[in-house]
Amino acid sequence: MSTTDSGTPRRWTHVLAVALAACLLIGVGVSVGLLLSHESTPGTDSAEAGFARDMSEHHAQAVQLSMIAYSRATSSDVRTLASDIALTQQAQIGIMQEWLKAWHLNPTGDKPVMSWMPDGQMSVESGNRMPGMATLEEIDKLRSATGQQVDIQFCQLMLRHHLGGIHMVDGLLAKASDPRVIELAKGMKSAQTGEVQALEMLLKSMNAPTG
Amino acid sequence: MSMSTPGDVRRPSTKKVATPAAGAKKSGGSGKGTPTRPAATGGGKGRRPVAPVKVSQGRNWGPIALYVTAGAVALGIVVFATVYLLQNKPDTRPWAERAADISGITNYRETDPKALDRTHAWGPLTYTINPPVGGTHNYNWQNCMGEHYKEPIAQEHAVHSLEHGAVWITYRPDLPQDQVDKLAKKIDGLSYTMLSPYPNLDSPISLQAWGYKLKVDNADDERVTKFIQALRLNATMEEGATCSTGITQTGTTPYDLGKDSGQTSTQ
Repeated sequence: MSTTDSGTPRRWTHVLAVALAACLLIGVGVSVGLLLSHESTPGTDSAEAGFARDMSEHHAQAVQLSMIAYSRATSSDVRTLASDIALTQQAQIGIMQEWLKAWHLNPTGDKPVMSWMPDGQMSVESGNRMPGMATLEEIDKLRSATGQQVDIQFCQLMLRHHLGGIHMVDGLLAKASDPRVIELAKGMKSAQTGEVQALEMLLKSMNAPTG
Repeated sequence: MSMSTPGDVRRPSTKKVATPAAGAKKSGGSGKGTPTRPAATGGGKGRRPVAPVKVSQGRNWGPIALYVTAGAVALGIVVFATVYLLQNKPDTRPWAERAADISGITNYRETDPKALDRTHAWGPLTYTINPPVGGTHNYNWQNCMGEHYKEPIAQEHAVHSLEHGAVWITYRPDLPQDQVDKLAKKIDGLSYTMLSPYPNLDSPISLQAWGYKLKVDNADDERVTKFIQALRLNATMEEGATCSTGITQTGTTPYDLGKDSGQTSTQ
C-alpha cells in the first residue's frame, strides 16, 4: 500500500487539475455565450447593417420620386400609388435607422455602398447610386416634365427603382440571419412586386413603354 | 522495483505495475482514509514506487494527450473569444464623442449655442457664422439628396436642411474643378448631403452639419469622410425629417414658398 503514500500530494494535484478544468469549462461557457450574444447584434460590415443603410438610401429616392408624382401627376391612380409608396417607404426608413441606432452603428458606413452584397459593387452605376436608382439628371427631367409626361416618367423610373430594390432584398435574404430584418425585407419584396405589376398596368393604360 | 513488492505480490508483472497506481487513485478517490495511514508510515520507502508511476506515465500518453488537447482547445476558445470580442467591440460612444475625435472640428453646440436658434422666418436672414451651422431659417429646406448645386444657394434654406440631418459641403468658387468633381462624386446619390459653391470662404472647403463645422484644404482629406460618417443624419434636430420635397433652385435669395398661404406652423 506504499503507493497511497504519495496519494496526499497527488490528491492536491488532482484537486488542482479539477479546479483548472472547472475554470476552463466556465471560461469556455462564458466565451461561447458572449460570442453567441455578440453575433445577435449585426456588426458594421454585416449584410443587415449594409442593407439598413443602403435600403434607407434607396427608399429615400423612392420617396423623392413619389412626392414629385404625388403633387404633379395628372392621373389620380398614379397619385394614389405615389402617396402609398412615399408614406410606406418613409416609415420603413425610420425602422431601418432605428435598427442602426440599436446596434450602435453610424447611418453612414465605412465601406462603399452595396459592399455587403456579393458582386454588389458591380451594380453600383456611379457615385453611390444603387440598382434601379435614377440619376440626378433623370430626377431633374421628371421635375421639369408637364402633363401626362410626369405620370409616364414617374412610372418608368419607379418600375426600374422597385426592380433594383427587389434585387437588393434577394441579396439580403441570401446572407442575413436577423429575423426582424428578414421579416421586413420579405414584406418589402412582396409589396414592391405587387407595385411593379401596378406600374406596368398604369404604363400600359397610358400606352407608354416600361422603360 | 523491489520496493514495489506489494504490488508485485498482487500482479507480479511489469505490465501490471500500473494497476497499483490506478488502485491508489481509486482508494484515494473513494476516500478510504484508513488504508493510507499505515502506508504513510513507510513513506520513506514508498517514495521509490514513484518509479512505477513513471512507467505508468509512459503508458498513459493517450489520456494525457486527451486532457492536454482538451485543455488547449478550451484555452484556445477563451483566448479567441477575448481577442474577437475586443476587436469587434462596437463603438458604443454617443456620435458626438466620435465627432469630437475629428481634428479641427468646431462644435458650436458647446461654444455658441445661442447661434443655433430653430425659429422659422421668411425673407433674407443674416448669420454670425458663415456658412451658417444653425439658427433661424426659412420654412422651406433645400433639397439635400446628394445634389451638387453649381451656383450658390440660399443659406436660409440650407440651414433648414442641416436641421433635418444633412451635411452641407461648401467650396470656394476658385476650387480646382477636379477637386469639385471629387466632392460631387463622394455625395452623388447619398441622401442627407449636398454640395454648393460659397463665395468668400476663408478655406477652400468647409463642411457644415447642425452645430458643427470643419474646414479642409483638400477634397482627399480623410476627415471629409469622417465628418460625413459621424454627423450625417446623426446631427439631426428632427429625427425622421426628410431631404426630398425641398427647394431645388439655386440663388441666394430664399424662396418663400407658402408665405402667401399664411403658413405659420413650424416644420
